[in-house]
Amino acid sequence: MANSEYILDIRKLNKSFGPTHANVNIDFQLKAGEVRGLAGENGSGKSTLLSQIAGMYGYDSGEMILKGEPYKPSSPVDANNHKIAIVVQELGMISNLPAGVNIFLGKTKKCTKFGLINNGLIKKEAAQLAERWNMPKIDLNIPAGYMNIEHRKMVELYRALSADPDILILDEVTQSLSQDNRKFLYGLIEQFKAEGRSVILISHDIEEMIDITDTISILRDGELLETVNSSEITSDDLKQKMVGRKIEGDYYRSDNAPDYHDEVLLKVQDVDTEAGLENISFELHKGEILGFCGLSDSGIHDIGKLAYGLEKLKKGRVHLATADIDIKNQEDALSHRVGYAPKDRDTDALMMDATIWDNFTLPSLQEVKGPVAKLSTAKMNKIAEDAVVEYQVKCTSSQQTMRELSGGNKQKVNLGRWMLKDLDVLIVDCPTRGVDVGVKAYLYGCLRAAKANNLGILMITDELAEAIGMCDNIIVMKDNRIVKEIERGPEFKEEIIIEVMI
Amino acid sequence: MKKKTNIKGIVILIAVIVVIIAGVLVINHLCDNRFLTVSNWLLIVAGAAVPTFTAWGLSFLFAASVTDFSIGAIVILGGTMAGTLGNIMGIPGVIIGGLSVGIALTLINFLIFNITKIPSWIAGMGMTLIYECAGVVYSNTRLAHGKQVVQLENQYRALGMSPWIYVVLVIGVVIAYILYNKTSIGVNIRAVGNNRHVAKQMGIPIVKTLILCGVIAGFFFGCSCFLNESYAGRSIAASGLTSISSIFQSLAAVLLAQVMQKKINIVFAIPIATILITAIFNAQTQLGVQSGTWQQVVLGAIVIIFGVIAQRGTKGVVK
Repeated sequence: MANSEYILDIRKLNKSFGPTHANVNIDFQLKAGEVRGLAGENGSGKSTLLSQIAGMYGYDSGEMILKGEPYKPSSPVDANNHKIAIVVQELGMISNLPAGVNIFLGKTKKCTKFGLINNGLIKKEAAQLAERWNMPKIDLNIPAGYMNIEHRKMVELYRALSADPDILILDEVTQSLSQDNRKFLYGLIEQFKAEGRSVILISHDIEEMIDITDTISILRDGELLETVNSSEITSDDLKQKMVGRKIEGDYYRSDNAPDYHDEVLLKVQDVDTEAGLENISFELHKGEILGFCGLSDSGIHDIGKLAYGLEKLKKGRVHLATADIDIKNQEDALSHRVGYAPKDRDTDALMMDATIWDNFTLPSLQEVKGPVAKLSTAKMNKIAEDAVVEYQVKCTSSQQTMRELSGGNKQKVNLGRWMLKDLDVLIVDCPTRGVDVGVKAYLYGCLRAAKANNLGILMITDELAEAIGMCDNIIVMKDNRIVKEIERGPEFKEEIIIEVMI
Repeated sequence: MKKKTNIKGIVILIAVIVVIIAGVLVINHLCDNRFLTVSNWLLIVAGAAVPTFTAWGLSFLFAASVTDFSIGAIVILGGTMAGTLGNIMGIPGVIIGGLSVGIALTLINFLIFNITKIPSWIAGMGMTLIYECAGVVYSNTRLAHGKQVVQLENQYRALGMSPWIYVVLVIGVVIAYILYNKTSIGVNIRAVGNNRHVAKQMGIPIVKTLILCGVIAGFFFGCSCFLNESYAGRSIAASGLTSISSIFQSLAAVLLAQVMQKKINIVFAIPIATILITAIFNAQTQLGVQSGTWQQVVLGAIVIIFGVIAQRGTKGVVK
């Protein structure tokens, strides 16, 4: 019998995908006004659980009781009608439709007059939402495909709030947001709590989760192990419970000084770009991890594209010293041992409807070419199969399609396919976005090992802790310009970086 | 944020306008001043009516990510039905005959795409052969019974003539604009075509949306059917996939409209494009360029050029 103390009461919930038992006898109770975190490794079943609550998947067995009534949503819209809304981990937008239409898609009747969609009503409804929740203003007329990942996330948040939810589900939303919008989100969560509404969230930033939640449920291998009070657990304990073992070694570097060779690998000189970057100059050295930090519109994410030949230059040059060439396009970069893992992995990096095998082998085609340009299937098989093992990709086989993987496993492929190559320069944009602590520690270990092997790494990141923990130098950007370069040492502090960023 | 004045863009725009005006004046001169006359342009607009309706239908198909080459065969069959019913029932029969075939056959195609899950362009090829065959069988049967291939009697051809053809065109613009931009089904079709996974998650009923897309596109193809029959008086049965070539002008118009849609809504861009293409044909005819050979070469070149330009304009995520 359902306990009326809970707004949502889930009993013995089971969900399988073929042979994979994604959720096993899940018991989950949520109180009104509670902020609950879900912690677990990639593939532990967190997103699956949330997807069932949000009506994106049906469940195989068990029951859900919402406000004392049986609840079995047939679709996300049905969940919305029950005042449950989700912001999904991967991008859920229609790129050719304006942001405003995206907010009300599937429920456009709300914004119709005499049966016709009325742009004025869309704007009015969105403005009411913005006022109600103190949302940052966004241009609703821009097609979603023309927005950056952060703005699209905010549109998704608008969309979720348009359902006036009693339970708001946030699946790794903060990973896509810069510091300013994260602060807004924390405020929104507080507001929800104050109004007696509930939030369920997933974040791989463990410290953040402990800070902003009341309770945390820990999942492992599809089972809910336990629910703990956030104030009574340390991040180390939580990590250990999540992965079932102690995370060995330091997450980040322990040294307090830069450590790299003098040899310059990549030199960017006086660059202005059509995308808006201005007067950009920096050098990347052998064995250096050079970080880029800034707010969402500071231009940091364009730096990766610039270094990989994806930006059109108005002036200046991007010189690859290892090959003594100027990088003018991505072919120049790829063929001269430069790799690039973009932030928006679904749109810019991975072939979502192709297999893991295809995605792992694609950047290595030059290396497996035989006589008369014939590709060696044996070598490609080895690359893909070894990489699946090496990067611990949880999948049924290398022939599984990317779209079926969890966010963290997609990221392992996104990064892993470059890490397995013999590169001189690797550009990584938010390398641990959507990656759990276990894999995060592993990837940081890989990056440190790559650095030790003299790889030069450009690390663009929204997470200051990551930049401080990993980089030799940090370049801070604001308004598409470099405003400060900080060397690893006493000035390597969040407060100093934030002061320059804002 | 400050908006920078795009001087380069303005200069290019002015240059393009100057080149177009100069080109038109040169053509007019070469045509002994017969190109830039009101009567010639009314003729051009009337000639653009049928491809415009076909292009509007195609724009809904493309918005839903459907490629269907059987449209030409549908327009021929629908024209034949419009002629048959028109000769019996008058102008209402022309309209009913065209619309019923256009909607019914496009709907059948969409049902086949949805039920069989065969890629639409492959299934559409198969349906082209079937519809062409039906037209040929019908024509041969009439000939075998001593009748001629359907010829719509002149008194029922008002919809293909001035002023009604312009009235129908204006009504078409209004309906297409509202359906494409201002209704939930128009938005849903574009959502499903853009990203079916996301659209499904947003609560859009995929199959229902696609079926309704078939009905809407079929409506415009049906209009093409009765307009074509009214304008030309008869529809000649085609075989061996030759009906596909009849939609090339409309296809070129949609591609051109896709290029223009950054500045103009695609529903308005389509008639502009069809009128432009019809004007090019008109000028070629006046200049004595052989139809069926060089004029087709020009049409093929237009399809490729606009296709390339449309693709070059495509960009995923920009800031």
